[in-house]
Amino acid sequence: MRCDLRNPNEPIAPGSSQFVSAASLRERLDWFNKLRWGAAVGVLVVVLIAGVGLKAPIEVRGLLLTGVMLLLLNTVYVLRGRRFKAVDIAIELRLVKVQMVCDLVALTVLLNLSGGVENPLLFLYVIHVIIASLLFKGREIFQIAWLAIFLFTAEVFGEYFGLLPHHHLPTAGEVAHELSFILMTLGSFWLVILFCAYVGARIMTHNRAIKDELVVHQGVLLAEDRAKTDFFRFVTHEIKSPVNTAQSGVETALELGGETMAPSVRDVLDRAVSRLKQATKIVQDLADLTRGGILKEENLTEVDFNDLVATTVDNQRDLAARSRLELNVLLPDPPVLLTTIRTMAETIVANLVNNAIRYSREGGRVSVRLVDTGKRARLVVEDEGIGIEENEQDLIFDEFYRSTAAREASNLGTGLGLPIVRKFVEELGGTIEVESRAGHGSTFTVALPRKSRKRRS
Amino acid sequence: MAEKTILVIDDDIDLVEIIRVTLENQGFKVIDAQSGERGLAMAREQNPDLILLDVMMGKVDEGFQVAYELRSDEVTADVPILMLTAVTDQTGFDFDPAKDKDFLPVNEFLEKPISPRNLVDMVRKHLPTSV
Repeated sequence: MRCDLRNPNEPIAPGSSQFVSAASLRERLDWFNKLRWGAAVGVLVVVLIAGVGLKAPIEVRGLLLTGVMLLLLNTVYVLRGRRFKAVDIAIELRLVKVQMVCDLVALTVLLNLSGGVENPLLFLYVIHVIIASLLFKGREIFQIAWLAIFLFTAEVFGEYFGLLPHHHLPTAGEVAHELSFILMTLGSFWLVILFCAYVGARIMTHNRAIKDELVVHQGVLLAEDRAKTDFFRFVTHEIKSPVNTAQSGVETALELGGETMAPSVRDVLDRAVSRLKQATKIVQDLADLTRGGILKEENLTEVDFNDLVATTVDNQRDLAARSRLELNVLLPDPPVLLTTIRTMAETIVANLVNNAIRYSREGGRVSVRLVDTGKRARLVVEDEGIGIEENEQDLIFDEFYRSTAAREASNLGTGLGLPIVRKFVEELGGTIEVESRAGHGSTFTVALPRKSRKRRS
Repeated sequence: MAEKTILVIDDDIDLVEIIRVTLENQGFKVIDAQSGERGLAMAREQNPDLILLDVMMGKVDEGFQVAYELRSDEVTADVPILMLTAVTDQTGFDFDPAKDKDFLPVNEFLEKPISPRNLVDMVRKHLPTSV
């Protein structure tokens, strides 16, 4: 299972639901540019093979010239795309429209030079209408559709009435001046183009409606998430003083009256202290979880991650020894250096190792491996403990969720250790994965970037 | 040896009583104030040997304000101050004892929950002429 580390605070570009976002527009334009390279090169290759190689009687010069023009135009589009960031989507879309008009004109010229109505490639107009429906809204799709219809109809009648030259396509029948054929072709052409535009517009309207719905849902989820965080912060704030004071009180009673107390009374108070410590830990964990924006440039330092992992693991050796666990650490040489936030990295390692130890069986083995993968440091914490049921593996990163097996094993967990690990890993720009088999053990793998940087909000 | 007086400034009356029991058991005299204002007045009037000051009472920065005022008043300027903090305090200052120690006019930060042994050790450590 891989947990989704998408930043929940990352908003979807406003207004994107009605249309396209700058990023997706850019992506599509890059794709169209690639298509155009293909089209232009295709024209040149076919003309060279047919016209020059096979000496077919076609309009080689004109066709090559159009192909080269298309190449040049596309070069301009690509260069512009690289040079300028899409600033205003409306302007970008207008430019796309100009590109489309140029493409349609180029296609019409190519058709004119290669037989006009005789050339079955006339259905390439359809592709333009489909592309238009990916980019534009209803009326604009029909504008492109009508332009295609106008250009092709004008070309066909232009040839029929002798206003445009006719370049006969050697493989086709001589039909450019047969009115019934022309009318039939134009009729089906109009039908296909308009139908395409209609279906395209319908599908895209439907898609955009779905997207709108998703954006609204995401807004609701984000608001709920914020409300939850606020609530945790409030609870943390309100609960910490009484818990702290109670713990101090019981500890003081134990300290002052310890010797004179009956062992059973002492035991009860010891238990109270241990549960109060758990409450304190929950409060501290909640504070960690609800604290935002820790990742600032000034908090980043260069950390010897080998050293950090070794020290953090050593701190837990006593705990491991109590369960007679074998605790192995494997570190790479040379050491991995990370530019990161030390306290967050420590918490990540400590929580994972602590879980592995606490949820191991007596006499089991916990192994901690650090691997340098170049761009990232990969930390693998593996245990042979109770494991996690498959249906619980995506829940263990939720606040306060404790797996059934974990609850059976210990009642002292806070249910916040893994949510904190996930949050910190996320803040540091890393990823976390878990593999587990119930009853056999779990393996947590964290990959942290060599240099953490503030995420764009 | 004269009895040492510890002034506890904290609005958590239960914690004040717990601290009182702990310190009186060790032979200290404990006086207390439940607000910064009252604490300042008592510090000036009763010349305590050491002050235990809660970082956050009614207002988020009340403890800091009191510490600065104690330090700027010549009567109380040299009295050691131990500041009680909780890691989860939302001070609004992005305050971190480990980092900001040098900028704050107190001798030590004690993190809540305070264990009685730690409290006594710290008080003894910072008392001017403790034996």
